[in-house]
Formats: sequence, C-alpha cells, structure tokens
Amino acid sequence: MSLLDEQVSVPRRTMTLFFLIDTSGSMEGSKIGAVNDAVANVLPMLDEISAENPDAEIKVAALEFSSGVHWLYSEPKLASDFVWQDVKAGGLTSLGAACAELSSKLSRSGYMQSASGSFAPAIILLSDGGPTDDFDSGLNKLKANNWFKAAIKIAIAIGDDADKDVLKQFAGNSEAVFTVHNIDALKQIIRVVAVTSSQIGSKSSTAGDTTKQEQVIEEVKDAVENIKGAEAATTVDSSSYDDDWD
Amino acid sequence: MAELKKGDKIRLTSGGFVTIEKELGRGGQGIVYLVDLNGEKKALKWYINAPDDKFYKNLEHNILSGAPSVAFLWPEYLTTKQNGSYGYVMKLRPQNYFEFGNFLLAKKSFRSYSAMLAAAMKICNGFMMLHRCGLSYQDLNDGNFFIDPDTGDVLICDNDNVMPQGEKSGIMGKARYMAPEIVAGGIPDKYSDRFSLAVILFMLFYANHPFEGAKVVACPCMTETYEKKFYGSEAVFIYDPTDKSNLPVRGIHQNVIRRWPAFPEKLRKTFEQEFSQEKLKNPNTRMIESLWEKLIAGIRDSLVRCPHCGEETFIENTHSCMDCGKHVDVSKRLKMGTRSVMLTKGTKVYVDNDNIPDAEIVVHPNDPSKILLKNLSKDNWTAETPSGKIKVVEPGGLMPVNPGIKIAFSNAYKGEITQENNN
Repeated sequence: MSLLDEQVSVPRRTMTLFFLIDTSGSMEGSKIGAVNDAVANVLPMLDEISAENPDAEIKVAALEFSSGVHWLYSEPKLASDFVWQDVKAGGLTSLGAACAELSSKLSRSGYMQSASGSFAPAIILLSDGGPTDDFDSGLNKLKANNWFKAAIKIAIAIGDDADKDVLKQFAGNSEAVFTVHNIDALKQIIRVVAVTSSQIGSKSSTAGDTTKQEQVIEEVKDAVENIKGAEAATTVDSSSYDDDWD
Repeated sequence: MAELKKGDKIRLTSGGFVTIEKELGRGGQGIVYLVDLNGEKKALKWYINAPDDKFYKNLEHNILSGAPSVAFLWPEYLTTKQNGSYGYVMKLRPQNYFEFGNFLLAKKSFRSYSAMLAAAMKICNGFMMLHRCGLSYQDLNDGNFFIDPDTGDVLICDNDNVMPQGEKSGIMGKARYMAPEIVAGGIPDKYSDRFSLAVILFMLFYANHPFEGAKVVACPCMTETYEKKFYGSEAVFIYDPTDKSNLPVRGIHQNVIRRWPAFPEKLRKTFEQEFSQEKLKNPNTRMIESLWEKLIAGIRDSLVRCPHCGEETFIENTHSCMDCGKHVDVSKRLKMGTRSVMLTKGTKVYVDNDNIPDAEIVVHPNDPSKILLKNLSKDNWTAETPSGKIKVVEPGGLMPVNPGIKIAFSNAYKGEITQENNN
C-alpha cells in the first residue's frame, strides 16, 4: 500500500491574478473603501477555486499606483496567504509607470517562476481617471511582453471620469472595459471579474476558437446585466476603421 | 441568466414539478440545485444559458432510452422550458463519492489496489455500454467522475453531452483530455472517447498526465496555442520508447516515476502502444473497451495479499512482494481460458467483470498450511474432482484448492485449479 500512501498531488501550473489598482487622490473615500472591501472578500473565493482545481493553483499579486507604484507583496501569493492590507488614496495617476513595472515582473526572472509552468495571467485594471505620466511608453513596453499578450485583460472604469480610451488600449479592446457608476456595483464587478477570470484562466482551454479573454468577457457581460449601475461596452468596437488612419 | 431560488417550483415534461431547496454547486454551463420531487431528494442541473433545441431534444431522447449502465448518473426527468431556460433532474451523488480531481490533488486516495482496479473496470464497462448504445460521451475529463475511495465504485456524471456518434453536442472538450484530432477541430466520436478513456485510466493508475513531461514543463506559459500543440499536433507520451524528449521530471512528476516501474509490465506495454504516435494519429486503431476490461481483469488476477507483510502486491516474473520483497508462493492457480488467477491466502477472485468478488482464499481451520476456496457468490458452483466425482459448493461453502479440480462457476465461467512448477 505504500505506493498509494506516498501519492503526492499532480503538479499544477500557476495562474497569477494581478490587480492593478488606481490609488490616486480622486479614489479617496468610498471608492477606495469599496475596492479594499471587495478584494479582501474575493480572496477566500479564489482560494476555494484554487484548492479544488487539478489544473492550476491560483496566486495573487497586487500593484497600486498613484504618484509612484508599489507591490503589496514582493511576490505572488496564494490567496490563502494573501493578507489584504487596505490601500490608501492620494497623489497622481502613474499608470504609465505601473505598466512598465508590471512588464518587468511578467517574466521568468520576475514573478512567473513556477517550476511546473504557468498559465497566462489574468490582469484586472481598476481606475477612475486618466494617466498623469507617460502612459504610451509604459504601455508600449507592456504590449511587447509575451505574457501580457497572452493574458486575460479586463479593465474596470470607475465612473465617467475614467479615461475609457486608455483602459481600452490597456485591455486590448473596448469590450474588455466594464464601467460602474456606484459603490455597490464596483464591489460586485470586482468579485465577478476576479472569480470569472480565475475560473477560466486556471483551467485547460476548451477546443474552439474563442480565447480565454473572450470567454471571460462573455460571462462578465451576462453577469453585468444583473448588476445595477454596471455596464458593458455598448458601442460597436470601431477602432479598426477609426484609429490609425491619420 | 436565469438563476433559481429556494421554493421555486419547476415543471417537468412528464407532469409534476420539483421544488428548489438550495444550490449545490455551479460550473461553466449551469447550476446544480438540491430539489424535492414528491418527497424524494434529487439534483437539478439548470442551464445558465439555455442550449439550443437540438440539445433539448437530445436530452429528451436520452431520458427515454435510459442509462447505458448503473455507472451513469443519468438524466431522469426533463423540465419544461421556463424562466428563459431549462434543466434536467438526476439522482443525488452519495456523500462517499469524490470528484476524480480530489484524487489527483492527493486529497483522497484509493484505499487499496483492488479499489483502484475496480474503478478502472467500472469506467471501462460504462463506456463500453455507452458505445454499444451507439452513443459517445464527447467531453470526457477529470471533472466527470465521482469515485468511492474505499470500494472504487464510480459514478459518471455530466451525461447531458452524450450524443449519437458522429453528432456534435456543441460543448467542447477540455484540453489535456481531448484526442488530438478533436483538438485539431474534429467531431468527437467513440474513437476520441477511447483516447480520453486511456488518458483517464493512465491518470487513475499513475496520478500524472501521460503527455506532461520535460517538454511541457519547459514551456513557461501554457497559452491556448501551446496547449493545442502539446496535447494535439505535437503530443509525445512521457514514456515513448523511441522518443525520449518528454520524460517525466524528478521532483515534479513523482507519482508516475515511482509507480511506472512498480506496476505490471502489461499495463506499461499497453500505454506505450495506446499513446504511440501511430495510435495518436490513427483513432480507429485505439484499444476497444472490452480489451481494456480483459487487461484490467488480468492485472487483478495477479494482485495478491502478501502472506508475510499483509500488503497487496502485484506479482510478476520475480514472485516477490512489492513492499517487503519477500518471496510469495503463487504456485496454486485458477486457470480460466487465458487467465491465470493467483491463489494465495486473503486474495479475492473476480470471475467476471462486475467488481463483486466471487471467491476468497481462506485458511483451513484445522491446518494453517492449507488454503480453501470460499464461494462468495449467490450461485452454486459445480466442481469435478480429478477422479470424476461431482461436488456442489453452495454460497458460503468451502472447497479445497487441489490441482486438477474443475469448477463451473456458471454456464459462462469455468476454470481449473492447477499447480505451477516454475515457482
């Protein structure tokens, strides 16, 4: 019986879920409070998805950006080990620097070190404004990164002041940007996006032509219909014939 | 999105209704609720987004035809279309059955090799019966099986994708379990089911994936594109006898590294063949379920309890215990056709493939050096001694293990006790 007793878990890949959180001054008050509450509450759910999943374990990393950028932990952590320290709002919106910082960690020498390999990460960007630094050079670095290219990318626009065009550029298309107009919707969308991207991102893919990001967008869209004050992109993505023609 | 809530009454096509009690779980396609049907607890699978009419009609047809075997948690009742969706009712899964994923994660483990072999046998038998009905499962993966770790009994769930062969359910399989031709875009059929079956059996025995070795570990980021490659067009078996590029990695694929050499050779040979490049590329050459059954029965025939340390052990050419290494006397055999069942104290004999032991070897009450065969079945055995005397062994009855005695367990199963000399 010894061989059966000695069994160890199958090796699992790692799927890292990144939260990129805007902690600029405009987030102060109920917005940052809602983000803190929602992320802290979603961590146990991610732990549960991870614990029952033979394909991959889920790790979490969080980067806050305001006048500077700051990782909450210096490495991705299992959701069960991730103690959420409330982030505080104040300062500018260094989204460009956040992109550059994320890109530097999306590498095998950075955060993607799992011995049994990884699935592409899922990246959730939350912002209520627009970048105050050099966004383009940061984004360009990120866009050249193969981990980023393969990642599930979803952006959450908090209120109408969020620069949706910037969020669209980050997430790759306008359908991956979801907008919320109240605190309750913000909390709900964080949960839905984090859970859905973790579920889909941490499983072997299905046959067929839809990408994991497209699958996440479809599921989140369905959920958004039932969240008051949350909306999916309603306009047709016209970037192919509107942009880059000048 | 059509979620249900406690107290909702959902009408069935057969008349009557079920009442929602609570949510039991949810997946990509739907939510499973605990429901009450005329005082009996059942499970309702409710689709979040209703699949098309063809899917509905297929479910209706499967319910009418009934389950191919007892291994299936088969749809029993269909709901009418309501609240923008529909669902079906099935039996509840008993508490002592656990998802196969729990075994892979080492949260559950088989209590014995007998239980492991029983699980393998039951899965093969289920798929044999399913294919015999002209159906294919389509989406066979690690999430479809619930197993009792003590007995190895299996329940196959998620049977809503079961379709006549050659038809597409629209629900796509999962990478790592899908046959290469399906990864490439083909339509699932019994041949692709057989590939998935071989993967599941491999993982059940060796607790690692047959295509995950050095090559796959070296891939830092398993994107959808790479998954199509490593599990489809460029899949290489980790123990491919000619291509050593994807061997298991020490420290990562520990289970298979330990178990591969310890488990019977005929199991190794079979997987080498089933995962050879030739069979990966030629679906209709894959092994049929009845041959898997025969293989598993043969392995079970060589599983005995070691008289020295009391552990279960597979006996092959060396006749020594896997655990304590001591010599095991397996000279007494029951020959049944090409089968040769080793008869040692405490070993159970499975005459057919139903996972219910038909006989057990016990020690003679007055002479510990002698062993006896005990009838555990519900049928009378008819035994013929070497001198031609006919004896009847009733259920619960005993008979000596003497070479030359012929036994008819039933009309279909007959055997003879022999003494091997090369022990």
